Order: sequence, then C-alpha cells, then structure tokens
Amino acid sequence: MSSTSAARTAERTSKRGLEILATDFGWHHAEREVPALAGLNVRIPAGQKVLLLGASGAGKSTLLHALAGVLEADERQISTGELKIQQQDAFARKFPVGLMQQDPETQIVQSRVGDDIAFGAENLGVAPEIIRARIPQVLKEVGLGDLDLGHRTQELSGGQKQRLALAGILAMNPGLMLLDEPTANIDPAGIEPLRDAVLAAAESTGATLIVVEHRLQAWAKHVDRVLVLAPGGGIAHDLNPQALFDDEKIRRELAASGIWVPGFVPETEPVGTSPGAQLLTAAQMQVSRSVHAIRTQPINLELRASRALVVLGENGAGKSTLALTLGGLLEPASGTLEASPQLSQGQGSEPFSWRAGVLVGRIGTVFQEPEHQFVTQSVREELAFAPTRARLAGSAQDQHAAQAVERRVAELLERLGLTALADANPFTLSGGEKRRLSVATVLAASPDVLILDEPTFGQDANTWLELAKILIEELRAGTSVVAVTHDTDFARALEATELHLTREPDDAGRRIDVQGPMLDAPLGRSWLAKINPLAKLGAVAAATLPLISTIDWVSACVIITATLLALPLAGLSVGRFLSRSWPLIIAGALAAWGIALVGEDSGATLLNLGILSISEGSVHAGIATGLRAMALAVPTVLLLSSTNPSDLGGALAQQLKVPHRFVLGALAGMRLLGLLVEEFTTLTLARRARGVGDLRSPVQRVKARLGQVLALLVQALRRAGRLAVTMEAKGFGSGTRTWVRSATFTWRDAGVLAAGVLLGTAAIGAALWAGTFNLVWT
Amino acid sequence: MNVAPATTRAQWRVVDIVVASVIAVASGVIFWAWNAGYGFFSLAFVAFPPGNALLSGVWLFPAVLGALIIRKPGAALYCELLAAIISALLGSQWGLGVLISGAIQGLGAELIFAAFRYRRWNLPVALLAGFMTGIFGGIGEVYLLGYNAKYTEAMKLFHVFATGISGLVIAGLLTWLAARALAKTGALGALTSRSAHLESPWGRA
Repeated sequence: MSSTSAARTAERTSKRGLEILATDFGWHHAEREVPALAGLNVRIPAGQKVLLLGASGAGKSTLLHALAGVLEADERQISTGELKIQQQDAFARKFPVGLMQQDPETQIVQSRVGDDIAFGAENLGVAPEIIRARIPQVLKEVGLGDLDLGHRTQELSGGQKQRLALAGILAMNPGLMLLDEPTANIDPAGIEPLRDAVLAAAESTGATLIVVEHRLQAWAKHVDRVLVLAPGGGIAHDLNPQALFDDEKIRRELAASGIWVPGFVPETEPVGTSPGAQLLTAAQMQVSRSVHAIRTQPINLELRASRALVVLGENGAGKSTLALTLGGLLEPASGTLEASPQLSQGQGSEPFSWRAGVLVGRIGTVFQEPEHQFVTQSVREELAFAPTRARLAGSAQDQHAAQAVERRVAELLERLGLTALADANPFTLSGGEKRRLSVATVLAASPDVLILDEPTFGQDANTWLELAKILIEELRAGTSVVAVTHDTDFARALEATELHLTREPDDAGRRIDVQGPMLDAPLGRSWLAKINPLAKLGAVAAATLPLISTIDWVSACVIITATLLALPLAGLSVGRFLSRSWPLIIAGALAAWGIALVGEDSGATLLNLGILSISEGSVHAGIATGLRAMALAVPTVLLLSSTNPSDLGGALAQQLKVPHRFVLGALAGMRLLGLLVEEFTTLTLARRARGVGDLRSPVQRVKARLGQVLALLVQALRRAGRLAVTMEAKGFGSGTRTWVRSATFTWRDAGVLAAGVLLGTAAIGAALWAGTFNLVWT
Repeated sequence: MNVAPATTRAQWRVVDIVVASVIAVASGVIFWAWNAGYGFFSLAFVAFPPGNALLSGVWLFPAVLGALIIRKPGAALYCELLAAIISALLGSQWGLGVLISGAIQGLGAELIFAAFRYRRWNLPVALLAGFMTGIFGGIGEVYLLGYNAKYTEAMKLFHVFATGISGLVIAGLLTWLAARALAKTGALGALTSRSAHLESPWGRA
C-alpha cells in the first residue's frame, strides 16, 4: 500500500520540495463533453512557488486535484499522458501532498483545534508522539499560537479556519502544497495573515507551492513563476511575475478573461443621477438576528430613488443583519423603519409586515449565496417566478399581466446574456452566471429598492463589471440601491453614499457566535466528564434499556430518582438539568395522555367521549407509560452533558473496533450541523425575499416547505463533496491510522459501568418486589 | 493511460461515506425543524393520538434517501442509524431507544434494497422500501419497545399500518422525487446516482 511510504516521508522532517513533471497530461470528467485538461506539458522544479492562472473552466482545480491524488480513474473518467511527482505516478500517492480549497468550512474536519491539526498526520500513520510534538509548533507557524488545543473549530473566523487548515497540512510534512483560491471566501482583513503564513511555511519546509487565485494583488510579488493555462489545453503563458505589473499586453489579456491583475479596476460609466424621492427611512433603528443576539448601534438613514448606499464595516458589526432588516425580512429590534407612501402603495408603512408577494415588487434582496434563492427548475421559470407572484398577490394595479411577465423575462434574459441558458437548471450554472441570475430574479419583480449582500465577493472581474453595469442602469431607472460590501472600488463605481458600521465596543474580540443546536456543548470539569465515554454509554444503556421490558411506575421512579441524585457528578444544577430536559418531560406527559385516551379501559369510566373513553385503568396505564418514557430519556442528559462526541467516536473506533472510516466520516459530518441549521434559517429568509411563503392553500405551503428541504439538501451535498476532497487529500481511508488521543479504560470507568448495570437490575428488582412488574411482550 | 483498479459496486469510497454522513446530519436538521412544526400537528392529534403515526414518515426518510443516493449495501441502515444518533445527541424524548428504533427502521429499507441485490433504485422499489421501513418501525415501537403497549389491539394494528403508509408516501414517494430533483441540480456529480433523473421510474437502473 502506498500509505506506508507516504507515512515514512511524512515522519521525517524533510527540507525538500517535490518536483512535478506533466507529459501530455489530460483528464476527462465523467459526463462532460470536453476534457477538463488536455495536452499539458510542464516541469515545476522542487521548491518553486508558482501562481497558476486561467479563465474559469481552464482546468486549474482539476490539475490541483490530480496532484493531490483525489481524482480516481474508472470506466467513465479517464486520464491520458503522465503526471509525475518526483518521478513517481501522482495517482499512486507516494508522497504527502497538502491541498487547501476555498470554502473554509470544509477545510476543517474535526471539532477541536488540536484534533484537526492531527487528522492528516494520523491518517498517514505518523507516530502519535511525533504528531503531538508537531501540533504546537505548526500552530505557532501559522500565527494561531495562542489558541487552546481544545478550542472549538466552529468558533473561528473564515481566515482563522484557513490558517488552521494550513497547520494541519504542515503537520503532514508535505513536500508540495496546493492552494485553490485560498482567500476567495475570507474577509480582506484575513487575506494577508493567511498569505504570510503560507509563504513562511513554504520557506521553512522548502515545499513546492502552487497557488490558484484570481485576485493577484496579494500574491504577485511573492511567487517565482506565473503559469497561465489555455482553455483548450496546455500552457498559454509561462511568465516572470514582473510581467503582471509591466507587460500591458499580458495584463489586458488576463483582465479580459476576468483575472484581477494587480491594480486593475474595470472601467464603468458615471452614474450621473440626482437623488429622487425618499423611499425608506430608518430612525434610531437597532437591528439584531434574534431576540437573544446582540444589537447594533442605533442607525439613522434614508434611501432615495436613484441613489446608492454602501454599508461598510468590519465583520460582526451587523452589516448583513441591517441588509435583512432593510429588506423587510427581519423586524427592527428597536426604533423604526418606515416606507414612504410612494414605496408602500397602500400597504402599511412597516416592510416587515408586508406579505412576501407584496414585498418582492417593492423591496428586493439579493443574498450572498445565489443558490439560497433558487426556487424553480429552470432559468426561465426562475425569472418569471417573482413577477407572477407579485401579480397573484394582487398588488394595487395588476402591474404584471401574464404577457408583461413574458416580455420582462425575455428582456432580462437578453440583458444578462442568459438567453442560451433559459432552459438550464439554475444550480448547474457557473459561479458568475449564478450571481447574474440571482440579481436578475430579484430585478424581475421591478422593486423600487434593491438590496445586495456582498454582491462582488469572490467574483471575477468580468462578473464584477456586469454587475456594476446592471446596477448603474437600475440607478438611472430610478431604483434605490443598497450594497453591503468590503469592496471600495465597487462603492466608487456606484457613486454611493457610505455608511460605516462599527462593532459595539464591549463585544470587540468576542468569539464567533454559533447559532442553532450544538452537538458538543462545553463540558466543564465535572467528575463524569473524565470517565470513558463507552463506560458512560454502557452505564446509561444498562440502566435504561431493561425498562423496555416493563411498564410500571416503580422501576421508572427508581431510575428517575437515581438520575436526579447523580446530577452533581455531571456538574449540573437542577435548573440547567430542567432547561435541557423539559421537552423530554412534556413528551412523557403527552404519552401518558395518549394511553389514557385510547388505552384499554378497565375499572370505573371517568370520561366518555364516544368511541374513546378515559377509565381508571387507562389512567394508571397512562401514568406508568409516561413515567417509563421519562425514565428512558432523562439519564441520557447526564451522558450528553458530560461527553464530547469526538471522544465517543474515538473510543468506539479504538476500543470497540467500529470501522474508523465510518466513525470519522460521521464526526466530520456532525461538525457541519450548526452550519446547516444556519443555512436552513437563511433559506427561510431568502425564500421570503423571492416571494415564497404567503401561499394560501395548505398544498402550496407544503410544497414550499419541501422546496426548502430540497434546497438544504443541495447545500449539504455541495459541502459534503468538498469535505470529501479535503479528507481524501489528508490521506483519509487509505491505510492504517494512528490516534493522538488514545482511549483508556480504568477501574474508575469500570466502576461507572458496573453502577449502571446495578441500577438497571435494582430497578427491575424493585418492580418485582413491589409486584408492579408488567411484562410488555405478553 | 492510467487505469486505476475500479472500485467494486459494494465498496464505499471516501466520498460515499462523507456524503452519507452529511445527508444524515442534514436529516437531523430537518428533524429539528420538523419538531418545531410537529408540535402544532400533534396538537391536532391530541383528540386521537394514534393519528400521530401518519406523520412519522418524516423520521424514516433518511434510510431511503441515503440508499437512493449512495447506492451501496448498508447505506439505508447507516443513514437512518446516524440520523437517530444525531437526534439522540440533540436530546431525544426516546432516550437511547431511538438508536434501537433507527436500527430497526433502517433495516426495513435495507432488506428491500438487498432483495433487489442493490441493482434496482426505481420508484416501485423506493415505495416498497419506504413502506417496509414504516412497518418495521411501527412493529418495533408497538411490540418490541412497547411505547404503545397499552393500546388496544386494534389501535396497535392501526399504528403499524399507519406508520407503513406514512413511510410509503413520505419516505418512499417524496424521497424518490427528491433524489431525482437533486440529480437535476448536478449536486450528485461525484456519486453513482448522478443521472437518477434520466432513469425511467419503472425501469432497471
């Protein structure tokens, strides 16, 4: 198996990069008409720092994936020619290779900082003591030296996540590092620290470095060589980096294919409008995501027709929340947001109170992620959706009669260059096309106010220019435009007024808030937290599962009492216990009610409801069933509040020999839970912004909900695909792995397990003794 | 030409494991969202508690969805079990019993796909799998775990059958439609099911 030699290389701390040689190399993805790469000939000497460029679709990512060994040839995907790393076939994966992609969320695999750094090296089978020594070292190298190893990876910013991913790559001791648009999805403030960390790492390890980026400013001065891939295949240019600054012909050519050469800003026409009527006014308005979330400073602003406003400010200042509030998707936390009569046209003055179908024709919101807003199966339907909704919602004058809708759709298709794609599924478009479509879908309803969240984020220069042109046209036509952005060039192009939001001073340096349910609540230092997770799981199982055999109140009360007595061991106060377990208690009560109502009757009838009746017998059965349900459920609160799922997973794989690929795959998926919950919430807002959600019939409502579930699944699958590439590049699943965190089983753990067994036996024993034991299976 | 040994039908690749895991996690999110609305529906059934079973298909869909997307032996069982583990971690009203339920429900769907030797992923098979995961789940709840052991015999049978019907519609039909819709978006590009939307509903895949 190749992993052994890879492990040996990873074990040494080499100071040598790897050499790459491609000879007529090509790759054909399954179900694509043309190959992604063809006829590539290039030699990259060991230790060289290369900037790899090319128009979208030129095969940059494919080349990086091939070098990282994550492409797999089969009957439908084929490679041609040769791709060699240090004279060895790249597909044989003889050497550890580091790969970083653009989505920070899926570059992280584990839920704790230390575990995540170790992940790749563990997969390569590097000895645990070597990894343990490396972890603090690489963490310092990427500038995250003051992070605790137990820190939760979910609480890091995008830039920090990328640097953590780099630390994990360095721990694998790779001779080749591949970076696929590493800074495209992080804030400008995070770009330079990440770049510096990458360059320092390349310097200290001597590793060969290949960076794909379309914003060149940060990298151009620091690389040795620039390679430009030709769309049809092969290398179009092999340049000295200085050419990116001096060679006008090259600069023009690259800029034309959408690449941001250093110092380049696309030229736009002046807007040249004067402010029109007042449309929306905010007075002393504070905004926040939810009742419990922090609020922004009080904001005063007015939006006028034909004027643009850009909202600037650091992360966490509430820019996106402000956009959602102005868009009528969130309610202001305090103060007022008032629509002028010209905008509201007979509706109330608060946009949040408008129905979705009314909202889309007045205020349109474009979300940062275009896919969040797609609600149909084709580009054409997507464009027709909002105007049709606005018409059905019966706006003041029936402004979008069916034919008018058709005309509007045709016009937008033409204007955005999407006519050829009218019947394509929106999700299958390229990044730039999706961005244009998402703007067009909102414009289709002809809103008077248009709000965009980070419209230019991660876009190439061509899409940037098209967006700027569209918005300038909209401003000239009298629309009011609001953009949340970090992009000051874009603000200038729109001749926008600027609004700077600052963070409330008292929460500077706060950690990133994680929303939604969490699988790994902070554990604290309770006695139970130190016990082997399997021992605890076994104890809870042994104590509760025997209860399945009987429906009686005595055994249930024994378990419930024991749970309450054990609360201090888990460091839980009664209040915190109740806050975690109240849904379980209510469920128990509901179960009791259910049995009382439809259970078998005996004894005196207490209440007669026709075919259903409540009797003494059914009430007793109900109480016993309810107590049993609670007794089955509440002990798990002890387990959950004192156990980290990662530790449980580690113990399952190491001690119970559950296949580690599935255990670690499950844990990696679970890390995405909070993120997916957040996405589900965003989808609710994004779909209201499209006019989904005020449907009258229950059938339409159910359909809308199902659409949202489907949209969530698409996002989940996209993340899963990227996460799988990350894990595979980190050597996951290729051979025997080591574990930095070894699971132990002590006498104390055995004692906990024994206590569980004893408790289960005692509960059943008590029921038998009291004569209430009541076998279920009779 | 590099022709790496093609993985066999039955072997799980890394991408299969990760996608299956993330589907199970996303199912956990859907359970969580459903819980919020489920209380509302449940209230309607306070007058007739066994009616709840008609809605229980929502808990069953990960089994069929996982199998239709991953198309490997064990996918139904793995996805349903992991989704159950996640709901247990989020705090389940059924305690560890939810793991037993998850295993039983997953097994119901798994047996159907196995009976077709993991070669048929069409509508009838999906419907059958959805129905069977419901029947298995219903039998497990009533006769093994005894959640409704105190129901009258007629109510027990009603519960099992209603769970089966709910599984047929929600876990079978809706899930099959979802898998096709997902294939259309191109999101299944790395998986064997990537062209599910082009397959005939009745034919062999």
